[in-house]
Amino acid sequence: MIVSFPNMGYSWPAFKTLIECMGVKVVLPDPTNREAVKIGVKYSPEFVCFPFKVTLGDFVSAIKKGADTLVMAIDCGPCRFGFYHAVQERILHDMGYKNIRVIPLDQADLLEFKWVKTLFDVTPTKNLFLYTKAVKAVQYFIKKTKYIEDISTAEGLIRCYERNKGDTTRVVKELLIKLDKTNKINELRKFKSVITNDFKKIDIDRSRDPLKVALSGEIHITLESHDNLDIRRKLGEMGVQLYQNLSVYDWVIHKFHLNFHRKWLEYLARPYMPMDIGGEAVWVIGEYIDRARSGFDGFIHAYPFTCMPEISARTILTNTLYKKYNLPIIFFSFDEHAAESGFRTRLEAFVDLIQGRRKQKRQKKEIKLEKKSKEPSYEVHGGSLYNSIFQFIQAG
Amino acid sequence: MVQVNDKTHVPKDGKHDSYLGIDVGSVTLKFVLMDNDQRVLSQVFLRNQGSPIDSVKFGMAEMRSQIEKNPELQEYAIRACGTTGSARYLTKAVVGGDLAKTEIIAHAVATQSLYPDVRTILEIGGQDSKIIILRDGIIVDFAMNSVCAAGTGSFLDHQATRLNIPIEDFGDYAVKSKNPASIAGRCTVFAESDMIHKQNSGYSKEDIIAGLCDSLVRNYLNNLSKGKDLEEPIVFQGGVSFNKGIIQAFERHLGCKITVPKNGLNVLMGALGMAILSREYYINNEIDTVFRGLRMTDIDFRTRTFNCGDCPNNCSIVECSIVENNEVIARWGSRCGKWEVF
Repeated sequence: MIVSFPNMGYSWPAFKTLIECMGVKVVLPDPTNREAVKIGVKYSPEFVCFPFKVTLGDFVSAIKKGADTLVMAIDCGPCRFGFYHAVQERILHDMGYKNIRVIPLDQADLLEFKWVKTLFDVTPTKNLFLYTKAVKAVQYFIKKTKYIEDISTAEGLIRCYERNKGDTTRVVKELLIKLDKTNKINELRKFKSVITNDFKKIDIDRSRDPLKVALSGEIHITLESHDNLDIRRKLGEMGVQLYQNLSVYDWVIHKFHLNFHRKWLEYLARPYMPMDIGGEAVWVIGEYIDRARSGFDGFIHAYPFTCMPEISARTILTNTLYKKYNLPIIFFSFDEHAAESGFRTRLEAFVDLIQGRRKQKRQKKEIKLEKKSKEPSYEVHGGSLYNSIFQFIQAG
Repeated sequence: MVQVNDKTHVPKDGKHDSYLGIDVGSVTLKFVLMDNDQRVLSQVFLRNQGSPIDSVKFGMAEMRSQIEKNPELQEYAIRACGTTGSARYLTKAVVGGDLAKTEIIAHAVATQSLYPDVRTILEIGGQDSKIIILRDGIIVDFAMNSVCAAGTGSFLDHQATRLNIPIEDFGDYAVKSKNPASIAGRCTVFAESDMIHKQNSGYSKEDIIAGLCDSLVRNYLNNLSKGKDLEEPIVFQGGVSFNKGIIQAFERHLGCKITVPKNGLNVLMGALGMAILSREYYINNEIDTVFRGLRMTDIDFRTRTFNCGDCPNNCSIVECSIVENNEVIARWGSRCGKWEVF
């Protein structure tokens, strides 16, 4: 049995560990590319949202590399995501891949422990040691997702300072490979220092004064750089410091009911959206309020074209919240189109807009120039990564 | 929005300063040569000639002939050059521009220089339409049509050809109508089938055109101004602002007066904005221009595309180089940032 799973940004080392710890061989699909998207679009229902098409394309790419069992996350949420694995399995069978199984990874409520069944499903041999294996798999998975979150956080914070274009991207790539190769618990525990040390090797220009922008939206689109036309890199190279709450770790601990930050965002969003309607709608609204209060320069909302929950959130953001909090916001709905020029124009115009606003604000002295030593901490999940990165940036 | 500090340059050649703004749009290209007092010295407004490179060369040749004819213009030297429009980076590489900015900022800057208290800018061009909201002299919000070209100049042009009237007279026809036909404005496909139906059931051309203008404005406002407050003074520009019917429809829908820049400046706003931004750039920075000069029409450029093939993405890379010495002046198209020369 060879298992595979779709791409979602940097999350591959974590999912790989989860399955490898169960003693099963894993093959990774190619990084999402034009070819995979083409196949996905060709065989998908036309009106389904973009992540469905991309993951289907990834599955085909994995099957071509030898995978016979595919794992797909599902969520009995209010949107159609709950049926993706079933529809994708049927489509794959219709395409002629008769022996392929798509196993759902139920993450509706991780405390119901339905996902354990998935872990046992992918292992061919059943014995008593399976339980100890599963405990190890989950432990490693959660540790690795946390480190992946750290890597992507540090990337967003540092890229706007880099002197040589592309340094940060290279470091991130190397770190992910290092993380993938770290499979001993002692080494894994010390991995945080590896991350900070590697990022500290980047040659940075400390005199820059980057804009602070938060990125939020649908999780697959926000994390997968192919889907969002590499918005994180483009913004960083335009001199924007990027903050992003979304990550697999954030989602997983949310599903274990331990994510108090998300609870806080839900609380903030309650007057505008009292319940989870699918996607990330509630948290996007909460995050917008949170970011506006903590003095950000801009907010970016990315979602797949035809995503109902995110569009509902968008209307609330423009019609009510923008007027109340006045934090500039821009929306990007992504689909298979690859024409970057319109996207780039809007992104550049947005950066110009927030730059102009900041200039005016400073002239009016509405906000005093932030003292460099008192950078507020936006840390969400504990640990000292933000502080060490900020210290590094300020240490010049 | 534009801030000019003390001048840092003292040029030696004794000529007057002038700044060139280039706007290469989807249908037309515009050149504006401006002096220090923001006076337009010379302007070019032409239809695109195939590729942006050919267009820019053509426009530059036109500008060169204008300057050669006019001895007064020869007293000026171009100190900086800025590009905008959808082909701004390619144009910047080809002419040797100092800066490339988006149309939105260029339009806003130019409009503010003519109407300092402007609060809303409506712009409808050949392929795209935008709305820019300004408050207290800065852009606070903008929207661009991102998915659909409904309600832009190209569509009107197409319909004018179908109705067999020249596009220049389109507005006059619309103004004459007493009873505009109702035409679906959701999408150009529906609009066109509605128009054919109305034509075949005997409506006059005037009524159909007035109805079309009305539906176009409705579509524009629905698509772009979602939840935005359109406050006076409103300035309307872009190629479609030549059309009186559209102006009238806007005034009817918004219930206020619409200003359109005079003297053909309504189409040149992007280029004018770039000229103003170039001036700011030149005066605030101690960097000399990299502009190739009006002689760039003599340089042969070559573009080629190839597939990178280093990863499964297999991005297709576009490269633009000078034929004579094989110097690569621009290269882009990769997702990862490899190969990039800007």
